[in-house]
Amino acid sequence: MPDELLELEEEEHTSQMTFPVFKRIMGIIKPHWKWVMGFLITIGLVSGLDAYFTYLNKEIVDHGIVLSDRAFITRIAWIYGSFLLMQSVFVFTFIYLAGVLGERVQYDLRKLLFNHLQDLSLSYYAQNAVGRLIARVTSDTGRVSELVTWGIVDSVWALMNIITSLTFMAIINWRLALIVSVIIPIMILVATKFQKYILVEFRTTRRTNSKITGAYNENIQGVRVVKALGREDANLVEFQNLTSTMYRSSYRAAWLSALFLPTVQIIAAFALGAIVWYGGVEISTGFITIGGIQAFVSYLTFMMWPVQDLARVYAEMQHSIASAERIFKLVDTQPEVHNRADAVEAKTLLGEIEFDHVDFFYEDRKPVLTDFTLKVKPGEMIALVGPTGGGKSTIVNLLCRFYEPQNGLIRINGRNYTGYTLESIHKRIGIVLQTPHLFSGTVRENIRYGKLDASDTEVEEAAKIAGAHDFILTLEKGYDQNVGEGGNLLSVGQKQLISLARAVLAKPELFIMDEATSSVDTLTEALIQKGMEALMQGRTSFVIAHRLSTIRRANRILVIEEGRIAEQGTHAELLRARGHYYRLYTQQFRHELEVQYGVADENGNDRENVTADSIVMKRDAVAAD
Amino acid sequence: MNSSTTSQTFDFRDAIHPNRLAGIWRMMTDFRVPYVAATVSLAISALAKTSVYLLLRFFADDVLHQGKMIGSTMTQTFLFIGLGFIGLALIEGGGSFLSGRLAAYTAEGITRRLRDFLFDHIQRLSFSYHSATPTGDLIERVTSDVDSLRRFFSEQAIGVGRIVLLFFINWGAILYINVKLGWISVITMPLILWVSLWFFKRVTKAYEDYQAQEAVLSTTLQENLTGVRVVKAFARQDYEMQKFEKDNWLKYVKGKFLLLMHSLFWPLSDIVLGGQMLFGFIYAAFMAINGEISVGDYVAYIGLLIWLIFPIRNLGRVIVQASTGMVSYGRLMDIVKQEREDLLGGRVQPTGPVRGEIEFKDVSFIYSDGTHHVIKDITFHIKPGESIALLGSTGSGKTSMMNLLPRFHDYTDGQILLDGVDLKDYPRKYLREQIGIVQQEPFLFSRLIRENILYGVGRSVTQEEIEAAAKAAAVHDVIVGFPDGYNTIVGEKGVTLSGGQKQRVTIARTILKNPKILILDDSTSAVDTETEASIRQALDDLMENRTTFIIAHRIQSVMKADQILVLDKGQVVQHGTHEELVTQIGSMYRRVYDIQTRIDEELENEIARAN
Repeated sequence: MPDELLELEEEEHTSQMTFPVFKRIMGIIKPHWKWVMGFLITIGLVSGLDAYFTYLNKEIVDHGIVLSDRAFITRIAWIYGSFLLMQSVFVFTFIYLAGVLGERVQYDLRKLLFNHLQDLSLSYYAQNAVGRLIARVTSDTGRVSELVTWGIVDSVWALMNIITSLTFMAIINWRLALIVSVIIPIMILVATKFQKYILVEFRTTRRTNSKITGAYNENIQGVRVVKALGREDANLVEFQNLTSTMYRSSYRAAWLSALFLPTVQIIAAFALGAIVWYGGVEISTGFITIGGIQAFVSYLTFMMWPVQDLARVYAEMQHSIASAERIFKLVDTQPEVHNRADAVEAKTLLGEIEFDHVDFFYEDRKPVLTDFTLKVKPGEMIALVGPTGGGKSTIVNLLCRFYEPQNGLIRINGRNYTGYTLESIHKRIGIVLQTPHLFSGTVRENIRYGKLDASDTEVEEAAKIAGAHDFILTLEKGYDQNVGEGGNLLSVGQKQLISLARAVLAKPELFIMDEATSSVDTLTEALIQKGMEALMQGRTSFVIAHRLSTIRRANRILVIEEGRIAEQGTHAELLRARGHYYRLYTQQFRHELEVQYGVADENGNDRENVTADSIVMKRDAVAAD
Repeated sequence: MNSSTTSQTFDFRDAIHPNRLAGIWRMMTDFRVPYVAATVSLAISALAKTSVYLLLRFFADDVLHQGKMIGSTMTQTFLFIGLGFIGLALIEGGGSFLSGRLAAYTAEGITRRLRDFLFDHIQRLSFSYHSATPTGDLIERVTSDVDSLRRFFSEQAIGVGRIVLLFFINWGAILYINVKLGWISVITMPLILWVSLWFFKRVTKAYEDYQAQEAVLSTTLQENLTGVRVVKAFARQDYEMQKFEKDNWLKYVKGKFLLLMHSLFWPLSDIVLGGQMLFGFIYAAFMAINGEISVGDYVAYIGLLIWLIFPIRNLGRVIVQASTGMVSYGRLMDIVKQEREDLLGGRVQPTGPVRGEIEFKDVSFIYSDGTHHVIKDITFHIKPGESIALLGSTGSGKTSMMNLLPRFHDYTDGQILLDGVDLKDYPRKYLREQIGIVQQEPFLFSRLIRENILYGVGRSVTQEEIEAAAKAAAVHDVIVGFPDGYNTIVGEKGVTLSGGQKQRVTIARTILKNPKILILDDSTSAVDTETEASIRQALDDLMENRTTFIIAHRIQSVMKADQILVLDKGQVVQHGTHEELVTQIGSMYRRVYDIQTRIDEELENEIARAN
């Protein structure tokens, strides 16, 4: 919900067209200039023909009927008919060209933005909510493509229509046409004002609507609390305030819209009244004909459409320009972490890894790591423990080179790692996140993400090593089971097993894991432990550890507090020290066994087996693996 | 309550009708007059528009041709006719505005009370309904379906009316001018209507297809952006670009198809309509030359004909859209027809607080859908101010049993007595006021912390009282540590509270509510060990002088209770105090107790091994 509100706020930004922005926007359609010329010409012709048809009607009256010239009418019929056919060809052409170009421009922009986003660093993602980035790629591209296609079509049609209508009116009677040409700017001005007011109300409506959805959402999700606390009446009163605001703004937007066209039309009617009066008085002098007056009636009646179009395009244009500016800003953003010009490929990550007096802070400039120093031997397993916010994730982020240190160096094989190419580092890293991230698609596709050209056998081998194979087979469609959006049809434990298998398949040299904190059932937990074990063999690994079995297995345990290593050593060493680690460990020990008991307890059928012995046995089994 | 409307009271259950149109008509109660008035204004507006052409006819035939005069001079006549055009435009514009405004009044008015009704209705539906209904589905209905009904009233129903009125009034005018001309002007109308219905049905489907692809594209995008670490860590940027490219291209292709449909429909229907129009023009021109109609007739005719034939092409669109409004009506009535909980009804209507004596006599509960007992033959008795602990695994019926007390569900067999009166005789609202629940997973609303503490307290409370409650719940210090203190917004828009902090806010809320009966549903399990102690203390204080139910799966949390019920598969397997139960060797309670003791021993061993 907040994301949506942010987007709505953003949408309210308007911008005036400046020359550089104009040039860049034009740059978007430049490669397609033939298409643009195509629809510009055809829409111009369509618009001109519309005005010409009204003129032909006048000719039928004045020359055909009044003079009883049948041959003339027959001739006009042929002209009219063939122009109608031509016009429909033009209509086809401009709808097709402008419409398809609109889709094409959207396609191009989405591609440009998406590909650029792939290059941007994690710091960019940390600063920009996903909802906003999605809005960039979806709604902003939509609005810009609308501007450069239908925006142009509508305004060209409207301008051409006004110009050709005025031309024909001038041909019929230039003095009366003069009256009309005075009226048109007034109509456009009034229409533009209306559009602005309507847009304001419209946006209030959308914002309120978003709040209403939020209120529904919260009240339904929290319905148990609402009932328990008997808050129904008060909630309704609060909600009615929202719907009242909604009512006021949407009602206002609606009646302003209803007032808009009639007002424009009434302005036109004053011109019409003047013309009929003035024309009628002068008609005996041949000043104007009956057909001419009829033509003026037509031109003025249909003048409201181009006027409305111009006002709409103008009002929307300011928002579209703001959209374009946001798109350009994203495209102009350079990735913070990037390959240096002289970067070489890292041949292996299985060497010594060293943090040498590293300082690091995020965008808020609060120090996260200060003077952090660490040396890791190839093949070592490092467990990172400590409180949330202590800097464990930052160490991992730096290690993966999602970020680079502001001070100090990180060396791999004795060489500053910024001297290596990003790709060569990343392809040698395997990572399993705390909240495992899967993609829509099948289990198989998700594992294969680790190695795109892996055969089915390889995928299954990896799953076996990771301990995921057995549970995958219990799924209805096995490896072809769909995991749902973001993998949400699977449990957290299952997702973690699959991401382990994915990492196994990638055969990394450096393995990084952030253990899940949420409880996973005992069996899955044991499987995950086994999978980790398999992955760590012969690799350097860093684990942000929460489970005792993991911690106990580490070659070295680092207790990270406030951006520093508070304690380090083996499990036994640290327990003896009776410091931070001792406290963390005893707490976790008690907690874990209780949870284990509770979890075993959760499966009703296991209950009979729950004895103190079996619990301890399970735990030992896990630890021994 | 809100005073700015007269129609808050409409009960949408009265709008349930097997015939959708009849149901929608019932929904319009209180708004029928404005809506009919909107239609009448529309007709007046259309008549005025038509009259413009008839005035033109009068101008051409009677004034110019026959020299008739209004007033004394020709100049005056022309002035009057000029004013006539302006007058007609005013009537047309006024009618059009009025009809738009009245339609908006109706549509927005009905929508507002529909939203209010649904909101209230949903929060009064039973627990079982909410458990069985996914939130997303409900939200979808109360937002999109309500909106499509709104558009039904504001655009579609009135839109059909507009097109039909324009057609018949203009046709009537043409028939009045010349019957033959009238009939030849509508030859292609059935064809156009049919083609437009056919086209808009197809194009609506193609559009949905296009939208579905948009959704696919958004999912790909969303997954890529949220999974940026995975993408980078596996260096899969190229692969992701290809994946996006595939979806992106498919959307382009679908968009192109949609555009192709439009670019064929509009010019092709233009040919038919243009042909019809040209045929009318030429035919009428010859009739004029033959003297069958006058010049004025002809001039009026060409104006009227355009308003006759072009709107028909849009009728298909409006009808197709209106049918989605009808579908939405059905989907909303699915919610409306659900039974509400009766909050106020009850054989007794007590005013003061309960004492808190509770007796369960062979109480059983079966969900309406199955024969499976959730709890079975539960019997116990608890005196005011005593505490009773329920120990058992998940699914043993602890929580279900507690849901019976506030009458979230009603028991199916046996009897529960509160202060000697059958629980079902109490109004639900009263009962819920007497019971405070601290839930396992605390739920806070995205509003100020102050408001969250005050939520549901239902009486005016001073800032001192709030702070006292927050202090008692050991959360005051945390709150004043936030930049805006008690006025800090909770949730995504403000601060994120930890599980323990949320828990303590709900405890503060319960302290203010001051209930006689307290249910602590595993209140410390979601909390980290550090805060557990302070919460436990807050809860111990809270329990004083209240009848308390403690749901737990740790011995530690239950041993101090006056009575302990050990539940298994919905039945009581052990009942007594900690001292009694712990001596029953081989019992479930004893087993759980042993495990916990064992844990402590294990820990000691572990540390001993390290030394």
